[in-house]
Amino acid sequence: MASLLRILKREFDPLTITQLSSSLIFFCLFLIAPIISILSSAFIRYSEFSLYWFSELLGDPEYLSLTPRGGYFFELHGDVMYIWGYDYGIILNSLIVAIVVALACSVIGIIAALIITRYTFPFKNFFKVAILVPMLATPFVNAYVLGRLFSPRAGVINLLLHDILHILPWRVDINGLVGIALAQILSYYPIVYLNIMASMTNIDPSMEEQAENLGARGFRLFRTVTFPLSLPGLAAGATVVFIFSMEDLGAPIGFIGYSANPLAKKVISYQIFSSFMEAVAGGISSETAALAVILLMISLAGFMLVKRYVSLKFYAMLSRGGRWKPRVRKLSIKGLAIVYLFLAFLITLASMPQLGVVVLAFSDWAKENYPTSFTLEYASRLVTDPNVVRAISNSIIYSVAAVIIAVLIGSSAAYVVARSRIPGVEALDLLATMPIAVPGIVIAVGYFLFFSYNFKNTLLDPLVEPMILLILAYSVRRMPFLARSVFAGLQQIHIALEEASLNLGAGKGYTFSRIVVPLLAANLLGGSLLTFVYSMSEVSTSVTLGALREDRGPITFYISQVIYGTAAVGTVSVAASLCVLLMTIQIVSMALSNYILRQRVAFLGV
Amino acid sequence: MVEVELINITKIYGKVKAAYKVNLHVKEGELFTLLGPSGCGKTTILRIIAGFEVPDEGRVLIGGKDVTDLPPYRRGTSMVFQNYALWPHMTVFENVAYGLRVRGVPKTELKRRVKEVLEMVKLEGLENRYPHQLSGGQQQRVALARALVVQPHVLLLDEPLSNLDAKLRIEMREELKRLQKALGITTIYVTHDQEEAMVLSDRIAVMNQGEILQVGTPRDIYERPVNFFVATFIGRSSVIECKVKRIIKDNLIEVAWKGGVLKGIFTSSNQVKVGDNVFCILRPEEIDINKESDDVNELIGTIEWMAYVGTRAEVRVKVKGGEEILVSLDPDMELKLGQELKIYIPVSDTIIVSP
Repeated sequence: MASLLRILKREFDPLTITQLSSSLIFFCLFLIAPIISILSSAFIRYSEFSLYWFSELLGDPEYLSLTPRGGYFFELHGDVMYIWGYDYGIILNSLIVAIVVALACSVIGIIAALIITRYTFPFKNFFKVAILVPMLATPFVNAYVLGRLFSPRAGVINLLLHDILHILPWRVDINGLVGIALAQILSYYPIVYLNIMASMTNIDPSMEEQAENLGARGFRLFRTVTFPLSLPGLAAGATVVFIFSMEDLGAPIGFIGYSANPLAKKVISYQIFSSFMEAVAGGISSETAALAVILLMISLAGFMLVKRYVSLKFYAMLSRGGRWKPRVRKLSIKGLAIVYLFLAFLITLASMPQLGVVVLAFSDWAKENYPTSFTLEYASRLVTDPNVVRAISNSIIYSVAAVIIAVLIGSSAAYVVARSRIPGVEALDLLATMPIAVPGIVIAVGYFLFFSYNFKNTLLDPLVEPMILLILAYSVRRMPFLARSVFAGLQQIHIALEEASLNLGAGKGYTFSRIVVPLLAANLLGGSLLTFVYSMSEVSTSVTLGALREDRGPITFYISQVIYGTAAVGTVSVAASLCVLLMTIQIVSMALSNYILRQRVAFLGV
Repeated sequence: MVEVELINITKIYGKVKAAYKVNLHVKEGELFTLLGPSGCGKTTILRIIAGFEVPDEGRVLIGGKDVTDLPPYRRGTSMVFQNYALWPHMTVFENVAYGLRVRGVPKTELKRRVKEVLEMVKLEGLENRYPHQLSGGQQQRVALARALVVQPHVLLLDEPLSNLDAKLRIEMREELKRLQKALGITTIYVTHDQEEAMVLSDRIAVMNQGEILQVGTPRDIYERPVNFFVATFIGRSSVIECKVKRIIKDNLIEVAWKGGVLKGIFTSSNQVKVGDNVFCILRPEEIDINKESDDVNELIGTIEWMAYVGTRAEVRVKVKGGEEILVSLDPDMELKLGQELKIYIPVSDTIIVSP
């Protein structure tokens, strides 16, 4: 006990106190308190604890039904094959979609990672880049484009495969839940791919060589050695995809915007979004809060399951990927053909939304069934249309401010977690990584409930000024990137470098600013770029909190308004142009972090 | 120049005793070495003195002042880290000047002192290099210069030579000793290399499992080890398990073993009585094949193994009773495997210790 007091006395120097208290206050106020507000709204009825709202939800077949309540799954009507999926109620629909998406992304991710890390073949570097194209953010518009491509009457896919090539005996209509799942699979598989790849490059090649030496090869080698050792990456990646799918608003809104498909509305995230939209004046109902709690619980459960893989500590391991040079094999002609076929199919399908967005932005496709002419009319609106300009400048201001907050808080939290010996400091690690598991829409509901009630008519009241809350929401949601990046950097800095400074008479603050920060510069810059990029394309809180005052809406809010069909001005092509802008920013940032900083930290997309 | 005192220092990590009731008194200007196998707690003790670890119990006094609860930056100790811990984003000059900058030393004086210390460690002209542009030996000198420039009360060295190659290590340890004597700075040195400890130290503390087993000059420790661990950790030896047969006088005792009886000097500090289990320690270089005096133990055996190692020939003799005794001999002697050999060990060099 005496020694514990001694340690505490020593550990609580001014720097630690500042870093610890500021990050704790930040997370308590902007992460924990809003969540508690949702919980109390969902669990308290007539000032008493009650499960009323949950039993209402779970008892309502609209939310949970064990038999299908409609929908089409490979049903032929006329010459159109309808592939929409069945409606098992909103909650089960979301779960089914998320599980299917996570499984499909895992399969694609494993195959792609195995091909890229273990084999060598011509044009490999091209495929390595092309495989990541879906990571380019094209919120809402990607699903809209997919909807258009698969449209039974005017879709390019049906034109090609049915009308021209006659491969398909009927036209297909992929929409509804299946459409959502397809859009999500195509945009999320790189997350699993990158995580598995990090795991695979971290496998000591001698592990595989020993197995080969003992006679294992081909699929047996994969099954017995490579795959089990890549499981941490698979688990982390698949879970993140599961959570992303549960909370995704982009795909449902995209499909609804394109075709007003009723099944696309039957997912939890969209339900919360729409009640948010309706309830703004009268507040958010307890039923919505209960639905948000269910969404949060499902996400958190997934997160806790793989906590040990996705903690800050694990990130550090991930970014050290590539210490070894794994042995790459040449492919046989047959193998080469299979690999090319797989990659070509995957990349063509997966980059369709991005290509479609570009076509949409620079052509008349929005007006015609098929693009016929090139135009800069819509792109030029990015600088001429005052509403668009305002959305862009809003996004930039919010994202820069969010980066600054994330740098201050994230680096403080990561430093305390990495270096302090205060008992229980691991809780901060949990707080800094938890935002991965808290759906954005839940944060939006929490902020609305907590701040509009407790900070009524102040600058923190979202009904008065959504800007500050948007900035805070961005910084909280993207905090794991920054904290991860800094933590990874701290792992690389031998603690003796700091001890040498303390030993020479420098205090902790001086040591932090003169030794730690300069050595962390690359990580801070890398983490900041990531935070900036992902803040620019943040969806969930932007389209909810951002909707509370139209002049405060960021880019993604503007896009959602266009796609959703409620915007006063603008067309889908302007939205596509904004997506092109987002993609450009993302590519430039990636290039910066890869070439200038020489960072090997992959865009893990969490 | 000050003395350093550790009083009852205890530090336990889980079940591992890194330090247990450690009492030490390092004198002014002395080069004092903590020697022991890896994991014995010697680095923990050094880090407790530097203030990086807080002891569970006990006190640290530097120059008579209790510093147990002072943070590292207020202790006036300078440490040279095993991996040097040179800051990669600073030049040699900036690395060395750091401690002076922290202390607010005026610019001209700072420059002069950095220049002086770099001359002292023979690094003139390398001021503007970055650590990665230096060889291992040069990096080590920068680390030393950085520690010395602030004129610390106590210099702490944590296995500073372990990352150097064998030849450089020998050069550096001589230089280190010369510098330490010239500056007269109280120095605590941690190493697991017993030869390094013998060459460098004024006094050595041998540690094992968090406890100090013996403190003494290199000669004391080699010739008068207090127990089996110290005797076998320092230098090479052959060990014979024995029982005390007779106490002749003072430390001179007679022991019995399977192969007969031996006379020797009991060097442990505890009391022995007839019948106690003890170990007889025989240093290979004290054993001869010529009988130089009458006051010797005599053993007869056959040569089991031989190796030529340059200046000496190493010979293993299997003696009656079954033990193999290692003997270091003149390499010019005509010896054959299987040959019968009589070996003689002076009684005064026959060390007997408690387990």
